[in-house]
Amino acid sequence: MTDHRFSAEAQALRRTARRELWIERILLAAAGLSAAVVVAIFSMLVWFCLPLFTEHRLGAVLAWRWDPIHQHFGILPMLITSCMLTILALCIAFPLTIGICSLLHGTIRNGVLRRMLLFLVHFMTGIPTVIYGFVSVFVLVPLLRWVFETGTGFSLMAACLTLSVLILPTMVLVLHAELDQAEARYRLTAEALGFSAEQTMRSVLLPACRRALIVTVLLGMGRAVGDTLVSLMVAGNAAQVPHSLFDSVRTLTAHIALVLATDSHSMAYQSVFAAGLFLFLLMSCFQAVLRFWAKSGASFR
Amino acid sequence: MKRSLFWMCCGVVMVLLVLGFGAGPAVSGALDAFKGLEGTVQIAGGTAHIPVMNDAAKAIMTAHPKIRILVEGGGTGIGVQKVGEGLVDIGNTGRALTDQEVAKYGLKSFPFALDGVAVVVHPSNPVSNLTAKQVQDIFSGVITRWKDVGGNDAPIHLFTRDEASGTREVFWEKALKKGSVAPSANVVGSNGAMKVAVSQDKDAIGYAGIGHVDASVKGIVLDGVAPTQENALNGSYPVTRKLYMNTKGEPKPLVKAFIDYILSPEGIEIVKKHGYLPL
Amino acid sequence: MKPTVDRFWKTVSWLSGLIVSASVSFLIGFLLWKGVHAVSPRLFFGDTAWQDALFGRRPVFDGIWPAVVGTLSLVVFASLIAVPIGVAAGIYLSEYATARQRRWIGSLVDLLSATPSIVMGLFGFTLILFLRKTIFPNAQTGLMLAAGCIALIVLPYLIATTQAALQGIPEESRLLGASLGLTKWQHIRHTLIPLSAKGILGGVVLAIGRAAEDTAVILLTGVMARAGMPRNLWDKFEALPFHVYYLAAEHRDAAELAQGFGTALVLLMVTTFLFGFSYWIEKQAARRWNSA
Repeated sequence: MTDHRFSAEAQALRRTARRELWIERILLAAAGLSAAVVVAIFSMLVWFCLPLFTEHRLGAVLAWRWDPIHQHFGILPMLITSCMLTILALCIAFPLTIGICSLLHGTIRNGVLRRMLLFLVHFMTGIPTVIYGFVSVFVLVPLLRWVFETGTGFSLMAACLTLSVLILPTMVLVLHAELDQAEARYRLTAEALGFSAEQTMRSVLLPACRRALIVTVLLGMGRAVGDTLVSLMVAGNAAQVPHSLFDSVRTLTAHIALVLATDSHSMAYQSVFAAGLFLFLLMSCFQAVLRFWAKSGASFR
Repeated sequence: MKRSLFWMCCGVVMVLLVLGFGAGPAVSGALDAFKGLEGTVQIAGGTAHIPVMNDAAKAIMTAHPKIRILVEGGGTGIGVQKVGEGLVDIGNTGRALTDQEVAKYGLKSFPFALDGVAVVVHPSNPVSNLTAKQVQDIFSGVITRWKDVGGNDAPIHLFTRDEASGTREVFWEKALKKGSVAPSANVVGSNGAMKVAVSQDKDAIGYAGIGHVDASVKGIVLDGVAPTQENALNGSYPVTRKLYMNTKGEPKPLVKAFIDYILSPEGIEIVKKHGYLPL
Repeated sequence: MKPTVDRFWKTVSWLSGLIVSASVSFLIGFLLWKGVHAVSPRLFFGDTAWQDALFGRRPVFDGIWPAVVGTLSLVVFASLIAVPIGVAAGIYLSEYATARQRRWIGSLVDLLSATPSIVMGLFGFTLILFLRKTIFPNAQTGLMLAAGCIALIVLPYLIATTQAALQGIPEESRLLGASLGLTKWQHIRHTLIPLSAKGILGGVVLAIGRAAEDTAVILLTGVMARAGMPRNLWDKFEALPFHVYYLAAEHRDAAELAQGFGTALVLLMVTTFLFGFSYWIEKQAARRWNSA
């Protein structure tokens, strides 16, 4: 009699243990799948760029002219544009971010204005990219055309203004979270020393968040480089190296969207994959640096 | 509470699926050639064809809800590639197919209309006449201000089409005589987009199919010949092209019915309504 | 010296706040002004009667109802794919993974989150080309492909929020499982998940919002300007954000432009509602832990 009960319990225990193992395996499969996808994307990009390396046509793609009719397939103009656009958008967005965070943690530290501003920033994160582009096409582009009287309005300037407004809320929220933590640590000390709100902000809080500032910049850069719709709608899409802020330009992302229609065996098609690979590598670098900075600092992911 | 929430979500998904994917009952109509046929016709390619295709599709789908006709643009290049790779049933092109394209994909062409390509500017632009040489110089970037061709003292804003465009190819060959287009020109993706761009900018210049020219843009008189369909027909306006529908090999019955519809009297009415010349 | 620097700093901060507030308010106001009178049954259904349009009995021309259905379908299918995988992966990374696994899988998931959406669309497009050449010669871009690619885009959000929600559970609650003699999975299922459900739900809603507004991916994986209601999972489809983009570039007349503004307004309302809902849920979850 004792044998039966013992074996029934043992069976139940074995079943549970087996189920636990299977559940862990399924969960591992899910995690592994998520990780494997990125490897698949990278492999696909490399695979399609391989002919460029094996047939030594890399030089054709790393050239300065894009003119498929005359057999020029250089994507360097688009690359330069992506970099310039990102840097310019950051030059506008970063000071604005610091300014807004100074407001939130300094001047209007208490009160209803702070809540309203925070609500506005959170609301901005919910606005789709295509809406920013849409309003820019009908408001910003004619405005630029009228005010500056150079160019069609579809220009580097229009794209960078729109892009800076797009990346601003993410940057503000990240910096704001860090400043909240720093404030909890340093605010009483600073007030006891007689610092004004603004002084606390610029002398105590911002230096304490130096690492977070780098993270903010990197996040903004990542978002700006990877954006397609804004530059597709307002940058003009001419495949040239920008010589002035009012030139019509094309970014790597817009280039992929525009050119994917051509013959799948031609060089133009391969240039698209080169552009995609470059974008992927660029974003990976940002991500690696971000991880490095975030890990070595106090902030957590 | 959690369980009822779960079933509620399932219910919502079910409702959505039923609403979204419900196919209607068959209703036969006056378009007798389509009687008894059902299925989907996918069309892609030239953007000049889109207004005609859309109207034809609307007429056919309203009379025969079981038939679905999907129309998208992308330009002549996309039309050739997609129909050649079997991704769509009809590939529209705004130029004749090259021998390589016919040989590579085995395509059959069905021309259905004549269209011209006009140089377009904003209606308020005082310039109305240009010579071919002036047009070539403007698009290659040699002439950069309207003043040099008799207009205001303002810079010329160039607009051109993307590489897949048949309109661009015809314009480049016949109007620009294979000259270059300045790299600073803004690139737009379709005839419709060109029209929108030029109609919003006082100093813009671009090119579009004559069928797309309406009150929002002005067609330029080229070498003394006005860009009208009559002039295109009688040969005095040189920048013309036929609009083609292309299929890979012999078209299926439903696709053949659609092509026949475009070439039928009703189709010809639609073609004329949108400013093209039926063949 | 200090008071002037202070004043300068104050001015700059106020200026930034004003610039940003003014831009956003102007954006919303402009959309409302131009779009509010376009929002009507006609915007959605065109000339077709709404009963016929709703049940797909008659096709809708010149209306955005197919785009609404298309966006809804995309969101539903992308969530159906992404939520199970993302939550499962998040649970694994938070509860089961070794430090080494967490580092590797975590880095790769980070990389996934950094992939630009147009590269994801490129991936989807080439996947179809690859399938056509090998096992599925009739493969086409369509709803399922687009939903799959969007699922990949939102996967990192889900994994990150699930992980964060689980890590946020205080130590006392975690000890519950061990003290009751529960197995690991029983502990997760009956203790941890109910406690972190709000956080996970917030992540799900965030993912839904992101899926609804994405344009770059669907550009390359099967969206069309005029496709009617999708008949099955492999069909072409319309979508609200693409419709907005298309009308911005190619409106034929003022009526279509007004439709564009109406569509933009509808899209804005949908995404605002979703993000607002997600924010509210997160606030609830945060309040629960802060007060505990």
